[in-house]
Amino acid sequence: MRLVSCLPQTLLALVTAALLTSAPARAEDEITLFAAASMTDAMTDLAAAYSAAGHPSVKLAFASSSTLAKQIENGAPADLYISADLKWMDYLAERQLIVAETRSNLAGNALVLIAPLGSAQAAAADPATLDWAALLGADGKLAIGDPAHVPAGRYAKAALDFLGVWQLVESHAVFAGDVRAALTFVETDEAVAGIVYATDAAISARVAVVGSFPTASHEPIVYPIAVVAEHDRPAVRAFLDFLLSGEGARILQHYGFVVPARSS
Amino acid sequence: MLLSPDELEAFLLSLRVASIAVLVGLPPAIFCAYALARWRFPGKLLFDALVHLPLVLPPVVVGYLLLVLFGRQGPLGQFFSDWLGLTFAFSWRGAVLAAAIMGFPFQVRAIRLSLEALDPGIEAAARTLGAGRLDVLVSVTLPLILPGILAGALLCFAGAVGEFGATITFVASIPGETQTLPLAIFRAVQSPGGEAAAARLVLLSVGLALVALAASELLARRWKRRFLG
Repeated sequence: MRLVSCLPQTLLALVTAALLTSAPARAEDEITLFAAASMTDAMTDLAAAYSAAGHPSVKLAFASSSTLAKQIENGAPADLYISADLKWMDYLAERQLIVAETRSNLAGNALVLIAPLGSAQAAAADPATLDWAALLGADGKLAIGDPAHVPAGRYAKAALDFLGVWQLVESHAVFAGDVRAALTFVETDEAVAGIVYATDAAISARVAVVGSFPTASHEPIVYPIAVVAEHDRPAVRAFLDFLLSGEGARILQHYGFVVPARSS
Repeated sequence: MLLSPDELEAFLLSLRVASIAVLVGLPPAIFCAYALARWRFPGKLLFDALVHLPLVLPPVVVGYLLLVLFGRQGPLGQFFSDWLGLTFAFSWRGAVLAAAIMGFPFQVRAIRLSLEALDPGIEAAARTLGAGRLDVLVSVTLPLILPGILAGALLCFAGAVGEFGATITFVASIPGETQTLPLAIFRAVQSPGGEAAAARLVLLSVGLALVALAASELLARRWKRRFLG
């Protein structure tokens, strides 16, 4: 009986203790980076290189740019944000959720058509002059990001519109939740083709690049980066400087990103 | 509350996917629940764990496993398409499969609980009065565990309407084909200016859940009145 009656207090004490001990010791110099899914490999490598050089560790979160923007809008503890398009960075800028002066374009990318390695569709061809009906066949699927909210999907739809084939391929399109999910559908041979960034195609050993879309067929693919409002700390600025440095550019280029010429 | 054609389509698709998922899952769920509640057999623990696997695995893992197993290139996917002409990948049938598998443990658990609560003496009495095994099952056991079956079906339906991770990983988000209510809500929330559409769809899901709960409660009451006086 006594044991039962003191159980609530004991539980409360335990929970309190657990909460107190697990509360992050919010190290002033720990950095959290929210980056678009297509940046996964490059940023993992960059963060590792940064902390290997004796700098603070960087926590990384990857998702579609839209998911991350919405999370930041709702108070997610991100210090830096990298979007896969200007729209979502503008979305945060309009709401004063980024430090405007820290915004710049970190990298650029290209849009490519991919097919499972070794498949009939994998033969190199120019997307601009391709016979899409033959490529997709009767019921072949074309994996793209959801054009409603995934930047890679919006670029893909714009490019297909520009080439005048969107009507033709729309019924074959499979909308993935982010660009890496579109890549997975092609890797697992479920979709006969897909449209992803050149960098996604480069890190996969199971897909072949059929061809690149002409740069005029879609708006330029740029990755803006900015410090999140109220997270402007020296440690965050230091990591931002590293990403924009020559060393940062070298790693980004290694993963297939295009690095714009920087004034500094 | 006016819905756009796309939103209405997502709503009707969700109803269809969830209802079929419940119906498809019910016979195997009753079988598994019966086996777990009444039989002793080697490997029962493993079987029990397998049945409950979707409950503890991350939905994305289930979705990925489904893609690998039931995709066009997957062993089970090829079997079904070669022998029955059924394809799952990127089709509403795949959404049903994902929903049925994610809801399966709920169905089994509810039915198993009511089977375990059932006095085996009642079934034994029916046997001594000359009823065959199948007759006992159909006219004694199943009616007595009906509340458990209903509860399981309801949980499975609710889970199926809410299924997201496995669905988007396995069959992607295709409007009118695999874009169920949660996927449509996700899409609306992710789109700039999609808040109003998201709000309408959220209200719709809440309404649907309430109706399902009320319906099951009414059914359970009617059953009690008829069988227990």
